[in-house]
Amino acid sequence: MAEVLLSIKGVEVRRGMSVVLSSFGLEVNSGDITVIHGANGSGKSTVIETAARLLPLEKGQVSHHQQMTMHSDGRRKKPVKPFGLTLQSNGVIGSETIENHLRTVAALSEKEVDLAPLLQSYDIKHRTQDIIAHLSGGQQRKVAVLAGLLPAMISREPTLVLLDEPDAGLDDAAITTLTQHIVSLASAGHGFLIASHNPSLRKIGTRLHNLTGEEPGVENKAKPWETKGQPKQARNVLVRTGHRYASSTHAGLARNGLAAMMILGCMLALGDPSILPSGLWLTGGILAPAFASGLAGDPTSHLMQEARANDWWRSQVQRTPSALGLGVLIGGIVTAGACYVYISEIDIMLVLIGAMICEATMSGVRFLHASTQRLARPNAVFIRLLLPAFILPWALIVSWAAGR
Amino acid sequence: MAGRSAEVLLGLGFAGIMTTLFLGFQWAPSVAIDAFESPAAQRIFYWHVPAAWAAFIAFAVLFTGSTMWFFNRSPLGWRLHVAGAEAGLACGLIAVWSGCVWGAAEWGTPWDWTDVRLNTFGLLTLLALFLVLGRQSQPDGVETRDTFSTFGLFGFVLVPFTYIATRIWEIRHPGPVVGAGDDGGSLSGDMAIVLFIGALSFTIFIIGHILISMRITSLEQRLEQAQHHIDGGK
Repeated sequence: MAEVLLSIKGVEVRRGMSVVLSSFGLEVNSGDITVIHGANGSGKSTVIETAARLLPLEKGQVSHHQQMTMHSDGRRKKPVKPFGLTLQSNGVIGSETIENHLRTVAALSEKEVDLAPLLQSYDIKHRTQDIIAHLSGGQQRKVAVLAGLLPAMISREPTLVLLDEPDAGLDDAAITTLTQHIVSLASAGHGFLIASHNPSLRKIGTRLHNLTGEEPGVENKAKPWETKGQPKQARNVLVRTGHRYASSTHAGLARNGLAAMMILGCMLALGDPSILPSGLWLTGGILAPAFASGLAGDPTSHLMQEARANDWWRSQVQRTPSALGLGVLIGGIVTAGACYVYISEIDIMLVLIGAMICEATMSGVRFLHASTQRLARPNAVFIRLLLPAFILPWALIVSWAAGR
Repeated sequence: MAGRSAEVLLGLGFAGIMTTLFLGFQWAPSVAIDAFESPAAQRIFYWHVPAAWAAFIAFAVLFTGSTMWFFNRSPLGWRLHVAGAEAGLACGLIAVWSGCVWGAAEWGTPWDWTDVRLNTFGLLTLLALFLVLGRQSQPDGVETRDTFSTFGLFGFVLVPFTYIATRIWEIRHPGPVVGAGDDGGSLSGDMAIVLFIGALSFTIFIIGHILISMRITSLEQRLEQAQHHIDGGK
């Protein structure tokens, strides 16, 4: 009996104040290629994003592999098994290389894979080490589609794959490859939910859904896909990815380091630091750059807004990559620098305090930032108005450090 | 008259606030010159304390509305949330501004980043500003309402901190001067009368403000529904 990979039961979903899906239900079993079709604005992408747990439910629930993953009462659980996802936006940050991005996707399934034949099939093998921002729009879409298919390609277990307009921007050869991959993966027991207008994709659908009802499609007689992945344990994928994002863009240096340098520079512009009396003002001067650096926030949070990368990550693992620990490094370095400028020696205790201040402040800003990500326009909201909340704890720590 | 009750309350409250200002400057007795660095500036107290009191009422309305929306998706709850944030911002800014003026005269500094009550109240006002500006920056929708309601709920955690701050950390702000226990605090009879008129006036003003704000939000929602209907939405 086919395994139920996705079950959407009686959901009501709103976009803004409009009800887009009402009492909607759908099941995807292993081996299914369910193609959702309909006019623009009818709710195809809403179904995909609901299945990916990106939209809050007014009613009903979504289950993956018969385990509840999202409920209208607010419960949200990480899916028991990884799933493939390609959103309408590519969900990839431009500073990643193709190889790094696809290896990270494989790592989420705790697998490793020889990427060369897969990239060759989409004619992008020669760009393996290129960063995604340097690719054409169509090539970027190929990477996003491959990232969506990869969890199924490397898994022997039936895997759910959600594809939203995967054909958009692809050339004819790539669409042919895509349809071949989909039918062979479905033959191997994986299940697909695809939103598309493309006749080539509708032709391979084993079930066709127009959002009000379902009709049978064609029978899939393709040769089953030969699984390519090898097990490989992956630890701290989110933190390692966050640090790779931060280092590949130098965002930590550009945002946090520069904020610290600006504060230090402004204070030095006011006068000779050697004439400051020891105590509160001197300690405050030494710890201010670390605090400013933390207030600049986690550098990866800003990168994740590119091409809905944050949504892609939230749907997969409920969180986004973060450069956890970067604050300790930056805070320690800038406090050591400030110590040398102010007191001509490095006070290890102050360096440690500066490192902790920077990391704690960065984590707080990261939390504030994350809490607005469900908004339609997260960049337009004035979340930084709440940053003064960090001044009181900083002042109390400076006061304590000065008195030790 | 019944349809204009909000405007009447707002007008009465405003008149009372102006009366409080007059009584505070012209009629209330002066404080002992050895008890304050700047005895004349102490008269700001008759606006400062009632404004903070009214802000707390508004924050309570904000919390109630946020709870109603977050747990029951109540449209009334959202209107209370919006009204509470706007009224809290108005009264919070009056309390912060008057406090800065008083602090500059009395403490020699308009703001002290280590005073817990000052900072937690300032943060509450900033939260109200965030909610008011943030709501205007987003299209209305359940995601917007859920997110801002969450901030409304978390923000209310600051209220008890602000309330007990002077009892635990008496850094700049004094401890309770009204209802401080058996000794009855440090307010004379005439001072208490002016303070009472101020508190009553600000309370009436804030109720009128909240009622008008809720009515405007309700009209905005009706307008949006009508526009959506014209656009052919479900």
